[in-house]
Amino acid sequence: MMASSYKDEDGHITVSGSGAAAGAGGGSLRSKKPENTAFKQQRLPAWQPILTAGTVLPAFFIIGLMFIPIGIGLYVTSNNIKEFEVDYTGVEMSSPCFTCSQNFSWNSTKPCTCSVPFHLDQPYESNVFMYYGLSNFYQNHRRYVKSRDDSQLNGNEESLRKPSKECEPYAKHNNKPIAPCGAIANSMFNDSLELIYIDPNGTKVQIPLTATGIAWWTDKHVKFRNPGAENTNLTVVFQGTTRPVNWRRPVFQLDSDPDNNGFINEDFIVWMRTAALPTFRKLYRIIQRRSNVHPTLPRGNYSLEVVYNYPVRSFEGRKRMILSTISWMGGKNPFLGIAYVSVGSVCFLLGVLLLIIHHKYGNRNNAAEISH
Amino acid sequence: VDCSLYSPGQLNTFFSKKTFVRCVMVSTYTSLVLFFIPWAAMQDSVRGDGKDVADYQSFALSTQTSLMIVVSAQMFLDTFYWTAINQFFLWGSIAAYLAITFTFFSNGLFFVFTSSFPFIGTARNSLKQPNVWLTMFLTCLLCVLPTVAFRFLHINFLEKIRKFTRFQKYKAREEGQPAPAPYRPPPRRVSTRRSSYAFSHSQGYGDLVTSRKFLRLKRRPSLFGRNQSPLVENQPQHYRTITEEAEESQT
Repeated sequence: MMASSYKDEDGHITVSGSGAAAGAGGGSLRSKKPENTAFKQQRLPAWQPILTAGTVLPAFFIIGLMFIPIGIGLYVTSNNIKEFEVDYTGVEMSSPCFTCSQNFSWNSTKPCTCSVPFHLDQPYESNVFMYYGLSNFYQNHRRYVKSRDDSQLNGNEESLRKPSKECEPYAKHNNKPIAPCGAIANSMFNDSLELIYIDPNGTKVQIPLTATGIAWWTDKHVKFRNPGAENTNLTVVFQGTTRPVNWRRPVFQLDSDPDNNGFINEDFIVWMRTAALPTFRKLYRIIQRRSNVHPTLPRGNYSLEVVYNYPVRSFEGRKRMILSTISWMGGKNPFLGIAYVSVGSVCFLLGVLLLIIHHKYGNRNNAAEISH
Repeated sequence: VDCSLYSPGQLNTFFSKKTFVRCVMVSTYTSLVLFFIPWAAMQDSVRGDGKDVADYQSFALSTQTSLMIVVSAQMFLDTFYWTAINQFFLWGSIAAYLAITFTFFSNGLFFVFTSSFPFIGTARNSLKQPNVWLTMFLTCLLCVLPTVAFRFLHINFLEKIRKFTRFQKYKAREEGQPAPAPYRPPPRRVSTRRSSYAFSHSQGYGDLVTSRKFLRLKRRPSLFGRNQSPLVENQPQHYRTITEEAEESQT
């Protein structure tokens, strides 16, 4: 007979008289024992991944081989996108907009206009998108980003009369609440850009620009709503409020189209979606395609007519106009294509290297064994 | 006797300076990749229909989602035993993240708490872009692959290379002395129903000890060979089943 004492799983020490008796231990002791389920006895089926050569090496090769064609496809797509940029800040003396940029004043009643000629080497087919780009403009500054009142922009009447504290100091002006309040709305981009095509005879043709369909659907229909009921006169609804300090016109006169007036004006919505980086571009207008036969923008001379309202010289910013075609992956950005190709090649080379190491050192087991 | 709990302490695997430096290097690399790849991909980029995608909210969302996926991938790599519980929590956390993101960016919450949930519409608009998904995929892969490669090398080759070079040196030096035990490759994983989510891995040997087997004079295979001590190898437990002639009464 053997006496043994052992610690039970729940720490209860039992002393048993014999092996046979241990199994038939008293009823009171048995009740403290955990149930004999897989979960409580820690016998759950488990799967264990192991990084063997058979899994890792093929994975590296497959990733390498997958990425390279994707990268090439992305790069080719990006290369096929046509883009043209015109900087019209007017920094140099020779630039057409130099006088406008120098003579800027907030109180001028007569807007300054300038005209920048440029030449397109290739025709642009399908829809052409016109963007305005700003440089050195930090729309991602934290205090700036918070300086808005989303309730007011959603059409809340209470917030219209009492803008939130976040909008300070652009919340009230002359004791009237500002609609829309905040620094983001106050600094809205207000240059007007027009495109003129100069055909070979010399006649100037104005290119039609579409101003709607440039903002996100959720922004235009959910996030931004005009206060008051539908189809009410906006002048009446916004009575008692005043325009932002830097604006020339109040918010209910942004556009004659009632579907694009007030807070739901698409230029305003596009501006209020703050950009992530200090050099950014925002959609300004869309040039719809005319027909399958004629290119939207034929090759030739063009002129950009600017109504220069937006001062950027004070913070050394730059303004530009960008014309671009679009593909399924967006605008012209070769980075993703190049990144995919390089990562794919590095992966493939790494796989080859690991294969060499595995071949060289993996088979030495047999040489290392020595019989006793 | 279950010793795998003691080996991290004895080998000082978790709190040494070497580990700290390695951790800092990996974190720095991951942080740089997580920011700069979306940054470079978002420069001057727009959606497939020409509208904005380079705004602050979309950039934040893509970086945040990449981070979640990278962290989950690290956890996947570090989990040794995948029981049902592990599967539920690991896949569940990714699912929970997506659910919470879409909830926070939904119309309903925006109407109730307007100023707290200004990200409305961002998930719907930016996660529909193949551009954004490709960027996130690239970021996650760049963060995870070095870890996988390094671990693969470490597990499979560094021990072998070290032992092989040590053995070569030994062999070149001494001819007469007995050679050290040969290196055996790690045994193939036996499909085991033991999982290691608590301290006691096994049933223990109480039954064996209290049975009368020890009175019989049979030679038994040793439980742990010299080179298979978990102290040295610090590997997940592999068990050889011990055959028993007669089934004792199960308690």
